[in-house]
Amino acid sequence: MKVRSMFKVQGSMFSVILGCSLFALTASAEQLLLRNGIVHTVTGATLNPGDVLIENGKIKEVSAHIESSASAIDLKGQHLYPGMIALDTSLGLTELSGVRSTLDEREVGDFVPDVKSWVAVNPDSELLPVARANGVTHIEPAPQGNIAAGQSGLVVLDGWTSEQMAYKKPIALHVYWPDMDLDLTPKEKVKDKAKWKSPEDQAKERTNKLKALDDFFQDARAYTVARDVAKTNAAVDPGRNPSWEAMRPFVRAELPITVHADDVREIKAAVKWADTNHFKIIIAGGRDSWMTADLLAQKNIPVIWEHTYQQPAHDYESYESHYAAPEKLRKAGVKVIFSLGGSTFIASLIKNLPYEAAQAVAFGLPEDEAIKGVTLYPAQAAGVADKLGSIEPGKDATLFACDGSILDLRAKVHHVWIAGKEMSLESRHTRLYNKYKKRP
Amino acid sequence: MGTPVEFRYLKYALIKRTLRPLLMRTFRKMLIVAGSLLAICALAATELLAPGFRPVPPDVHALVGATVVVKPGQVISNATIVLRGGKIEKVGVNISIPPDARVWNLKSNTVYAGFIDAYLTLSSTGSPDAGGKKDRNELTAGVKFFGVPGGERDPGNPGPGSELPAITPERRMAKTFAPESKSLESLRELGFTTANVVPDKGILRGTSVFVALGETDPNRAIMRADVFQHVGFEEGVKEDAYPESLMGVVAAIRQNFFDAQHAALRSADGHVRSAAGVDGGSDYNPAIEALIPAVKKQITVAFEPRSALMVDRAARVAREIGLDFCIVSSGQEWRRPDLAKSAAVPFIVPVNFPEAPKLPTDDDWTQVSLDQLRAWDWAPENAALLRRQNLQIALTTFGLEDKKVFRKNLKLAIERGLTEADALAALTTVPAKLCGLDNQVGTIEAGKLANLTVVNGKGYFDPESKVQSVWIEGRFYRTDFEEPKSDSKADDKKDEETKPTTATPKVVEPEKSPAPEPTEAEKSEKSAKAKSEPEKSDKEKVSKDKKPEPPKPRVARSPLDGRGPLTNAGAILIEHATIWTCAKDGILTNASILIENGKISQVGNFSYDRDGDELVIDAKGEHVTPGLIDCHNHSMILGDVNEGTIPSTAMVRIGDVVNSETPNIYEQLAGGLTACSLLHGSANPIGGQNQVIKLRDGASPEDLKFAAAPQGIKFALGENVKQSNWGEKYKTRFPQTRMGVETFIGNRFIAAQRYLKQWDDYKGTSADGSPKSKSDAAKIPPRRDLELEAIVEILQGKRWIHSHSYRQDEILMLLRLMQSFGVQVGTFQHVLEGYKVAEELADGKVGGSTFADWWAYKFEVYDAIPYNGSLMRERGVVVSFNSDSSDLARHLNLEAAKAVKYGGTPEVEALKFVTLNPAKQLRIDKYVGSIEVGKDADLAIWNKNPLDSSSMCLQTWIDGKKYFDHDQSKQRFVAIDKERAALIEKAKKSAKGDSDKDGSGAAKKKFFEVSLEHRYDGKVRHCTEDEQ
Repeated sequence: MKVRSMFKVQGSMFSVILGCSLFALTASAEQLLLRNGIVHTVTGATLNPGDVLIENGKIKEVSAHIESSASAIDLKGQHLYPGMIALDTSLGLTELSGVRSTLDEREVGDFVPDVKSWVAVNPDSELLPVARANGVTHIEPAPQGNIAAGQSGLVVLDGWTSEQMAYKKPIALHVYWPDMDLDLTPKEKVKDKAKWKSPEDQAKERTNKLKALDDFFQDARAYTVARDVAKTNAAVDPGRNPSWEAMRPFVRAELPITVHADDVREIKAAVKWADTNHFKIIIAGGRDSWMTADLLAQKNIPVIWEHTYQQPAHDYESYESHYAAPEKLRKAGVKVIFSLGGSTFIASLIKNLPYEAAQAVAFGLPEDEAIKGVTLYPAQAAGVADKLGSIEPGKDATLFACDGSILDLRAKVHHVWIAGKEMSLESRHTRLYNKYKKRP
Repeated sequence: MGTPVEFRYLKYALIKRTLRPLLMRTFRKMLIVAGSLLAICALAATELLAPGFRPVPPDVHALVGATVVVKPGQVISNATIVLRGGKIEKVGVNISIPPDARVWNLKSNTVYAGFIDAYLTLSSTGSPDAGGKKDRNELTAGVKFFGVPGGERDPGNPGPGSELPAITPERRMAKTFAPESKSLESLRELGFTTANVVPDKGILRGTSVFVALGETDPNRAIMRADVFQHVGFEEGVKEDAYPESLMGVVAAIRQNFFDAQHAALRSADGHVRSAAGVDGGSDYNPAIEALIPAVKKQITVAFEPRSALMVDRAARVAREIGLDFCIVSSGQEWRRPDLAKSAAVPFIVPVNFPEAPKLPTDDDWTQVSLDQLRAWDWAPENAALLRRQNLQIALTTFGLEDKKVFRKNLKLAIERGLTEADALAALTTVPAKLCGLDNQVGTIEAGKLANLTVVNGKGYFDPESKVQSVWIEGRFYRTDFEEPKSDSKADDKKDEETKPTTATPKVVEPEKSPAPEPTEAEKSEKSAKAKSEPEKSDKEKVSKDKKPEPPKPRVARSPLDGRGPLTNAGAILIEHATIWTCAKDGILTNASILIENGKISQVGNFSYDRDGDELVIDAKGEHVTPGLIDCHNHSMILGDVNEGTIPSTAMVRIGDVVNSETPNIYEQLAGGLTACSLLHGSANPIGGQNQVIKLRDGASPEDLKFAAAPQGIKFALGENVKQSNWGEKYKTRFPQTRMGVETFIGNRFIAAQRYLKQWDDYKGTSADGSPKSKSDAAKIPPRRDLELEAIVEILQGKRWIHSHSYRQDEILMLLRLMQSFGVQVGTFQHVLEGYKVAEELADGKVGGSTFADWWAYKFEVYDAIPYNGSLMRERGVVVSFNSDSSDLARHLNLEAAKAVKYGGTPEVEALKFVTLNPAKQLRIDKYVGSIEVGKDADLAIWNKNPLDSSSMCLQTWIDGKKYFDHDQSKQRFVAIDKERAALIEKAKKSAKGDSDKDGSGAAKKKFFEVSLEHRYDGKVRHCTEDEQ
């Protein structure tokens, strides 16, 4: 298939913008003024209207009115938000979920912490521009699999190469918590009768799996200590092992472990495990997290909530339990980050990220929390809140402008800037649309 | 268990394996001749066996001193029963004991008519004939289609009969009855003396045989052959073999019975091949022949629906065909007592109740569904509940892996409201009548067979009392092998001394069955409980010395509780609303809607004289829209969505398998949805027939149906039907390419034209309806072919095609192919490249029912764009957005909003994508889809503009009745929480012992069974489900 390079298009657009502004600026300070927008600073009050001054790809000033000779774009009536961040996705690693040759999201093996997602992102994926055109500027392609499935990086949706797009690496280790659901299928309903196990046996197995997981982390910790000690010549260096090496920042709690867990038993077990070991964790999926919101709040564990639009998992839950869960979590004091999850099917629809939050607003979540859940909170979880997630001086000028609230499905995004550079909003969708619109 | 010592001769069963064939049969046949001669002389003589066998004992017995339950409700104390020649000669008090009788003192025993199990499965006899059948699928690598095989024309099975592996109505249990003595012994220990042995596998299973449960020659044991023809709604008997889905099962049952009707006509006609014998309908087929007695009502058909909802389907299919029938209970009729009641035929009821398990941790209970807990708590009450529906019931040991728990469970059923008289009738008179043997068995009356069940102590319904013995055709079988306690004899003597030797017969009038109970009561736990109390006192009349057990009340509520309409006002006035009429009035602000008798009677600003009885809703600040309509939904389908085995399944009907019990209905109502088209999946080019329903939560499957909606059928094109993503195994079914899809569909339409011509020839009309002379060959009608019948309906414009499609070439292919047959396609579903051929779609007047923005999940949808809906609309196509997902169907309003965002469809038009336009596409826009005078009052009320993604549905109305209310839903789930907590507490308390370590604890396994109605709870249902 013929893939047109959209980055070429962007590049030329960018130079047009620069061309307009260059003559007014000194060579070292490239400035752009976004005027008259409804500025959702996220961390502070919303300015309506407000101006944002961009310099050298960073936000220089945010204020109700900025006097500047910089080239300006009038955003009258438009809402300005920090770029949205989609955590836990297979976007970038997936093209067509039904076509195996286009899938790179899942490795083999229970313990492969040295697998790295950011090295396999396809910069020319047709899916990326679709997400970006609705204001998603950063994604976390997450390796999927069993137990320790690998590390994720934060990827910015701008760049010529995968290297240029790797914004921060790694940002998390992905642990898929062992399935604690008992298979209660009656024996005669099981296809392979020999595989049937009693609930007790499964409970034992479950305990063993958790032990195996914990052992792996204890080994990693021992390795880390051993290497540190070796540096002081107090012991023999165990030698570099890439698997254990990959674990170092996580066992030291320098970086978070994203624990994928949906069932309440899994969530509780993961929280207990992290607490015992002083690991920093984030719960991803979190289907039943609302059942144990207080515990999560108490341990200060954020939740990447991926189930807004999914049907209740149990027949005793209210029809709205997943719509209302984010507010339940927030009320208890849990930070809720919205995501559509890592399924390869949904990778093409990451553009719909803000509506996951919007539906939670319909069922009680305050709007500002919904916005934080797609901007600031994911930035904090990814450890990039110093650069992304809000409109504040010093942060990246990664923004988008929308002709309504981004929580309203009908609103259209008109501008996306990544580090001060305006992005093209073209995609496979718009190209086909424009082509067939012209069909006589 | 030991052997009856006195009658070790009965163990000739062991010897007979070698000797019997020659020796015994010859002797016996001679004896039968001799015996009948002797009988004329009124001389009793028992069978004379050859030397070496234990001689047959004399056959005159007097059973004295027992309490005799002649029949349910009629008890004689201290009575005498005289048995002679295997029959009951006399029963009563003051009967002189014949001098030739062996006398049995049965003081402090109760004697019942020998119990009957109307539905006995014996593993040694129940399994299908081994090796006899080879289904076509195996011969053609998973490919099977009548007339469209993978390679050469398929010869079918090696032998005659149905080509479908699960269709074996010609099997006769009378040919294969070969019991193991152990299994008979265990039944006798429960008091059973006769049973109807049934085939328990397959769909059309064959006939049962009624046998005596004595140790005897099977030929002699058989009392009646071919008692019932058996039908089971069994899915997936064989993987990849039609019929695999539940709806396919129903279709196969229908077709085979219709074939039998046809065969009956032909055999009446001397079995001539019809001149038009091109369809196989004139072949001789032993499977079909075997069904002829059923369609002639010469034999009762026992349906095993295997779920509560399919009870209704069984009854309707049986009545459609014209069968005499009875139903084997799934034990779950408590889900919908109304359906069981309307079946109005006897039920054969198992007592295989689930048992609460122990779970490893407390949190593990979170994965136990409310429904599983309810099923556990309701199970013992099911028998009583069926009686309350005025239904005759026969009890059976069916489903009990360990038959020993039968009496324990029967006790539970009695504690939960089954009267002892009813229980006894269910073991004697009812099954006797049902099996057509009530002139021989079922009561203790002179002339009937000497089949008796003798129980000591407090009688059969006290599990502590032992079945001492049974008598089968006058032969004694000991069933209690424990040594009698030393003091029991003394007690007996004492009884003899103190009690009078004669007593006046105490006759209790038989209860006027059935027990009266209003059905409404089933809906209310309270009234059901209240009623069970008087029943208990009835039962005490029968066995007066019985102490009442402490009742074990049910905690579970009926699943129908809290469902159904929330209002019953005849007139409703909605005021001050923003009304999206989806009609020429556009959006009205601060306007009103008047609803009368379920219809919209006024809209806009009108004056209305209130009479105070109407319900007034102040909708200030709220938006009212027509109820949303989903043109593509699979959520309320029982069993598989696909009958994906063969490339045309036009004969299967979603209407046969509507699931009224799934929580999806409520969840989607809560998103403003009021109607949807339930479609077959996309696994084959010609799929099954659709069913349009309204989401009247709480109504029965039939009452969910949108009666005025025209019929439709699912077609599918592209990757799914050519099995592109099914795996390596699936490479041989025709078609494997888009080329072949066209060829295949064309073939079936030509076949349908030819079929139509056969009928026209028969009816004597030509295609234009003008009369034609009847030919001799058309004396009997052509064989009904349900597949071609459905396609003929398409040709006649009575059935609309809704075709799954993605690529523009395949869209045009079907459009043109159908035009060549004069057929207008109803809608293209998905139609993700519809924007590329919008002109052609508009010209062909074909609706486009698409996803709002799904794309890139497989290769054929790489060119899907979210602008599709807007572009097609701009070019004149009637466009709808559908869900094809039980998730999306909960917020179709938000899908509609995407048309505003992508392509700038005006909001008023965008909302029509999920209201008026799907109504047009389904040809139901005369009734629904807009807020206009005269239309059904199907409405949704929203807290703000429904296209805003933070809007919420507040109320949903169907036919002028409120079915969903956001505020009231809170109470609904509070009640559920409370119920569930109580159920878990009860379950934890009653769980005893170890949990089931090896999976053999039948009752505990049963606890975890998931009912058919709830199999897909919490799972997204879409059209490729079950395929991959």
